[in-house]
Amino acid sequence: MENEKHIEKLIDETMDSLDGAARAKPRPFLLTRINARLNKQRESRWENAGSFIARPAVIIAGLCMIIGLNLMVVVYNNSTTPAVAVTDQLSNTTDEFSSSVATLDYIENIEPQ
Amino acid sequence: MNDPELIIQLQLGDASAFKRLVEDWEDMVYNTAVSIVQNTDDADDITQEVFMQAYQSVSSFKGESKLSTWLYRITVNRSLDHLKKMKRKKRFGFVFGLFEHNDEVQLQPTEFNHPGVLMEKKEKAAELFKALEKIPGKQRIAFTLNKLEGRSYPEIAEIMNTTLYAVESLMGRAKGNLKKILKEFYEEKK
Repeated sequence: MENEKHIEKLIDETMDSLDGAARAKPRPFLLTRINARLNKQRESRWENAGSFIARPAVIIAGLCMIIGLNLMVVVYNNSTTPAVAVTDQLSNTTDEFSSSVATLDYIENIEPQ
Repeated sequence: MNDPELIIQLQLGDASAFKRLVEDWEDMVYNTAVSIVQNTDDADDITQEVFMQAYQSVSSFKGESKLSTWLYRITVNRSLDHLKKMKRKKRFGFVFGLFEHNDEVQLQPTEFNHPGVLMEKKEKAAELFKALEKIPGKQRIAFTLNKLEGRSYPEIAEIMNTTLYAVESLMGRAKGNLKKILKEFYEEKK
């Protein structure tokens, strides 16, 4: 009985041991450490992006994609534009150019009123 | 500068406002973290991470709660994440031990002495912290916020995003569990 009372007392004292405790303080220069970490995080973000782009696999994949796109454009143009249409287009452009030149000549030769 | 003004300045990216935020709340954040994780180095890391997160996410802070409540929430969540990480490390400690030969990861719990506890109560406080490690995380947080940060039950409810009834229940269970653990400890010691 006496023993139990003693244990109860110890428990109560332990439960109240945090009463009156002051706040713990962090180590000095916390702001400096936070700013350093923020800067490091910003730098590492660019470093990560740079190292990702510089990977051989990414470079090869990028080159393959560019070459593939170029090939696709060439093949697509060859298959959809017939030779006749290209000739027509060229002659139309020539006509337009010559007519515009003629028009300029015409304007230059007009007598001022 | 009051809280809403400080928040506006922080959202504008004002460096002096961030300095003010850190200076005003560093003790609160660190004390909460160290009381939950019971390790000064880890608490220092968590404190830095809390302010980094606050700096990066202040633009999304709508001012629906107090600035202190928002910081408490970040601290509590970061501390809980840390506890989960430590638990995972402890669980797989044996497996890690097979492959690693360095002593970087300390898995053996050491006695924690809270720096703010009065000298004559240090020994008993250490026993209480040991017992706190054995109760569930939410009970530990409610008890810590009440005993070491002096937060009232309604404030704890707001920080933990729960009801007042839930906090009362958590506190009741925390005290019950702690007394049970301490009783076993003192009976064994006799």
